[in-house]
Amino acid sequence: MEFAIISTLNGVTYGLLLFMVSAGLTLIFGMMGVLNFAHASFYMLGAYVAYAVSSIFGFWIGLIVAPIVVGLIGMAVERFLLPRVHAHGHAHELLLTFGLALIIEELIKLFFGDFPVNYQMPADLRFSAFSVFGSNYPFYRLFIGGVAVVMFAVLWLLLTRTRTGIVVRAAERLPAMAEALGHNIPMVFMFVFGTGAALAGLGGAVAGAFYPTNPNMGIELGVIVFVVVVVGGLGSLKGSLLASLLIGLFSSFAVGLDWSLAGLFGLFGLGDWARSLGGLMTLELSSVSATIPFALMLIVLLVRPAGLMGEPN
Amino acid sequence: MKRIATTTIAAAGALVAAASAGHAEPLKIGIIESLSGSQTSTGRLYATAVEYGVDKINEAGGFNGEPVQVTEYDNAGGAPEAADKFRQAVADGVDIIFQGASSAIAGQLTEDVRKHNIRNPGKEVMFINLGGEAMELTGEKCQFYHFRFTTTAPMRVNALVNAMKEAGDLGTKAYAINQNYSWGQDVQAAVEAAAGEGGYEVVDEVLHDVNKIQDFAPFVARIKAAAPDTVFTGNWSNDLLLLMKAAGDAGLDVTFATAFLDQPGNIANAGKTALGHYIANNYDNAASESDAFPQAYKQATGHVPIFVEGHSAFALAQLQQALGTLDLGGGDIDVTKIALALEDTTYETPVGPVTVRKEDHQTIRPVVVSKVVENAKYPADDTDMGFETVKIVPAEEAIYPVQESCDMQRPEE
Repeated sequence: MEFAIISTLNGVTYGLLLFMVSAGLTLIFGMMGVLNFAHASFYMLGAYVAYAVSSIFGFWIGLIVAPIVVGLIGMAVERFLLPRVHAHGHAHELLLTFGLALIIEELIKLFFGDFPVNYQMPADLRFSAFSVFGSNYPFYRLFIGGVAVVMFAVLWLLLTRTRTGIVVRAAERLPAMAEALGHNIPMVFMFVFGTGAALAGLGGAVAGAFYPTNPNMGIELGVIVFVVVVVGGLGSLKGSLLASLLIGLFSSFAVGLDWSLAGLFGLFGLGDWARSLGGLMTLELSSVSATIPFALMLIVLLVRPAGLMGEPN
Repeated sequence: MKRIATTTIAAAGALVAAASAGHAEPLKIGIIESLSGSQTSTGRLYATAVEYGVDKINEAGGFNGEPVQVTEYDNAGGAPEAADKFRQAVADGVDIIFQGASSAIAGQLTEDVRKHNIRNPGKEVMFINLGGEAMELTGEKCQFYHFRFTTTAPMRVNALVNAMKEAGDLGTKAYAINQNYSWGQDVQAAVEAAAGEGGYEVVDEVLHDVNKIQDFAPFVARIKAAAPDTVFTGNWSNDLLLLMKAAGDAGLDVTFATAFLDQPGNIANAGKTALGHYIANNYDNAASESDAFPQAYKQATGHVPIFVEGHSAFALAQLQQALGTLDLGGGDIDVTKIALALEDTTYETPVGPVTVRKEDHQTIRPVVVSKVVENAKYPADDTDMGFETVKIVPAEEAIYPVQESCDMQRPEE
């Protein structure tokens, strides 16, 4: 019971962090059809901008400035870089953003050094929210989760309940028609891209203070964020939320479970035989916990290629 | 016609002779290191230390009448790129290769060097391994032209057990959490092996993916459930930092016994959580009374030696000492002679002597055990915290027996 409760808590908060970063990626893809490889770099930029700003003006100012700066950078990318390769198709957009990711990483190293920087949460947020079975539960984890939930709610309401949302969805579905009705479609796309980047920046600013802020954080999280988006269904916000939580929970529970194939055979009285084989038979689930999201992606792609909540294309 | 040809050949021969008399062959050193990609921070430090050491050799007059040349090759953190850069280095005429970040790359390079030397007798290349600590490098893969100038898992773990027990910080229940590859498995095996000597019980152990995990809270929950006194971990980079941060956030009351806590950024990021935790490594500035070496290093590079820089600079100093015993008379560079000279060299580092064990080319070297304290003599990462030496385990106590799997083919003398 203790194990189940702690693992659920950890899994849900980690899942919400994943959602915070993947929301922007899936938004951009869903609205514009651009698979933005540099998305995790925006996450890293957010953390570094927040670090630079917060060291002078304090943590909260950094938290506000980071998404704005990253959002503006995102808009610039959409306005000046992407149109140049747009005519050549999606592969070129992907390559462009991939190159951008490499450039951002090396620029960060140039300005901030190769080592993790000392970006810390403020002391008044560093306390334990409650204690579960003698283990303190840090408040900041709840804070990360809370920010993610608020973000989901705002995005959802914005897209489904407001006029802006209607225009954005119209621009996605029938751009020519929306343009004929007098809406500035390039401007809409620029704002969507900027918003997606800003969300990643906010994610970085919030999470960078909890996890270390270093030049690798983009690449490390980037892979898993792509998995989330694919599992959830490209372009589906709800799917991303579901996939993030699933991956968070799976990774969290796997750590505590010493399950192996040999154990499974043990149920049929073949345990000793399986253990004597070694290799894959005795590989414990906990030692491959970080691989589970990829296995999940494989299964989803095989069974439901469009993702959990994606629309078959 | 025939006469003209003969004269030309004679003239050419005279020219070659004149050239070799005027310019002896310089010793060429290649650094094949992770200079871009995720391990840049570590690779850059190795390169800095090697270049510092080469400058020292050249200040003292170089070798074979020429300054030693040094070239950096970027392996981008991967073994295939390293193999590629090795071929390039060979084409450039490199004699000695230095590398430190990653055992996987060291494993690739030592195999490449072995094969190259079999195919090119008389043009051997030597590999000085500054940081690949996997046991197999001096085990199944051991060979004459590979030298390991760093510790291995049993050396670090035994030193930790020894010093922490003396200091009364070890306790009776130990936990091992490590990365699931050769190095992490070596550490786990060493922790199990030292249990009798250290008088502790290994309550649980776990291996996890290497630098892929973003969230260590589930692992901390698992450690908490086992209630250990000491947590042994060979983790490095993010895996160590995230583990310590998660442990600190959960209020886990254990002592961490680590191998790479001195990696830049760790102390600052972990904050007060880091206090009281242990590390065993090759060298620490605070371990020596004299601050001559840190100051000299600072003068040359702008900072006191950190992380892997100290022991890497000593490896170059030991090479310098070995070169000093050789006189090639301005002739060709003979790498085999350099290797044989290095085998016979004893270098006095500020923390004790380092010698090469001839059977497997593992260095017999002291291990420094330190713990994180406030107001340290050499503060880490611009904090007021740093390392205080608990014990220097002498070389002869720290060393482990030669592995049976090592079957070294020595060159004919």
